[in-house]
Amino acid sequence: MRKSLKGAGILLLLVILVVVPIVDKNTYHHIVLCQTLVNIVVVTGLNFITGLTGQMNMGTAGIMAMGAYSAALCSTKFNFPIIVGFIVAILMGLIVGKGLGYPSLRLKGVYLSLTTIGFSEITRLVLTNWVDLTGGTMGVQNIPWINLFGNKLDTSFKIYYFYLVIAILVTIASYRIIHSKWGRVFKAIKDNVEAVDASGVDIAKMKILAFTLATVLGCFGGAMYAHMMGYINPTTFTQDLSANYLAMMMIGGIGTVGGSVLGAIVITILPEVLRFMENYYWLVFSTIALLFAIFLPNGIVSLFTGNKLLKRFGRTEKSFKGEE
Amino acid sequence: MLQVNNINVYYGKVEALFNVSFEVGDNEIVSLIGANGAGKTTLMKTIVGINKVQSGNIEYNGKEISNQHAHKTVYDGIVYVPEGREVFPQMTVYENLEMGAFSKKYTKGEMDDHIAEVYDLFPRLKERSKQAAGTMSGGEQQMLAIGRGMMSDPKLLMFDEPSLGLAPVIVDEMFRAIIKINESRKTPIVIAEQNAFMAMSISKRTYVLEVGHIVTHGASPELLNSPDIKKAYLGG
Repeated sequence: MRKSLKGAGILLLLVILVVVPIVDKNTYHHIVLCQTLVNIVVVTGLNFITGLTGQMNMGTAGIMAMGAYSAALCSTKFNFPIIVGFIVAILMGLIVGKGLGYPSLRLKGVYLSLTTIGFSEITRLVLTNWVDLTGGTMGVQNIPWINLFGNKLDTSFKIYYFYLVIAILVTIASYRIIHSKWGRVFKAIKDNVEAVDASGVDIAKMKILAFTLATVLGCFGGAMYAHMMGYINPTTFTQDLSANYLAMMMIGGIGTVGGSVLGAIVITILPEVLRFMENYYWLVFSTIALLFAIFLPNGIVSLFTGNKLLKRFGRTEKSFKGEE
Repeated sequence: MLQVNNINVYYGKVEALFNVSFEVGDNEIVSLIGANGAGKTTLMKTIVGINKVQSGNIEYNGKEISNQHAHKTVYDGIVYVPEGREVFPQMTVYENLEMGAFSKKYTKGEMDDHIAEVYDLFPRLKERSKQAAGTMSGGEQQMLAIGRGMMSDPKLLMFDEPSLGLAPVIVDEMFRAIIKINESRKTPIVIAEQNAFMAMSISKRTYVLEVGHIVTHGASPELLNSPDIKKAYLGG
């Protein structure tokens, strides 16, 4: 019964996602919807390291920036085909994941938060000041549209459907990972690190793996963002953005694919819906977000899974403070 | 099969083990007794590789394993079952057991065999296989922690305070299970216990730890009758 309900819910969400841009012809709305899909990809990645494994990653903005600039510079400065830009973005994700994960995840505690904040800020400053390569505060302009088998995706409407397919594939893949041996170990590390040690798991390796999944998807999301906007500049990738992704994950529901998707949708679209409040919209949005956090500690997704209360017997709270 | 030679272990600048030597032979149960803070847990964690050795060495079947990563030690066959029923509260009993086999690449059939073996030892776990481990009683969680330790085909099992906080009836059951594991699998077992009488009565040899030093060791039946041990650990 519950399974078929869940299936129906997913189908309904899919239908809405497919139909809305056809009914609503507003181009601005299309851009917001594309942004939503990009955010789904990024949050799904963040969920592996912060949601499942319980290691606070505060550098999503920097990671995305690396992906966005890799892709954008490949296709503008070096005139490579767009697909190469996406591949370079993925490679960049691997490099950042291993390079940042190796020194910070072999230690227990808050080191990942610290290194990721540092990394994110350094990335932003380098992008701002390396004017010859990145264009500095002027950003990278005229990033070409994606060319898919001869079809130029030159409107947000067309890009939307391409990104929808990508987002669906990413969601399915991450669902599979969460329900595999890997996913179980990720959850176990957050649950009870002592017992993971006793089970013969190489904890550092698994944490780095989870983090690399996050950075690869983060960089990929960044590349998607660059080709959707056609223009990027460093001021997009501030700590606010990183915090926003954490908010999406938490408000949607930590540790589940459904939560990541719902969180990305709600937190991206809600502020736009509230724009009629003009000066007060951000205040109202923050209040709503806070209420969600208080009354639905397990996220929006718990409305559907019936798991509304914070698990009493778990150790989630403890591991979340980074004490492990 | 396991030989610990004169190890010194520190937590930061504080020395926790002083020149400790310790030995486990094939197919024997060894108990490790001592008060809180004597270093029982530290010694076990050091053997498995969670703590580092400052000097001295640990040999396992002739192979040097001091300061080896814990996941490699588990792969070599030394399994440590931590104190305080460290299970994964949000996972089901079945998933907890699967986690225990992480270091091995079992086929589906081998996995089922191992799980069947654990269920055979603790039938209670079979009844609860689909239940979240965090919702079970303390005794059941301890059974699960022991069962999980057995999943990776251990060659040496180390139990840290298996009786901690359990009702007397459950304690008896736990020790019977430990004897059964030793007899049926021929696996040598190390038990660290504050419940000295229980541990000593099922073990062949006993080591007594006091603030980081091994003060005595010998055959358990003899130590059980020694006046000093009686006074210090067995309540007169």
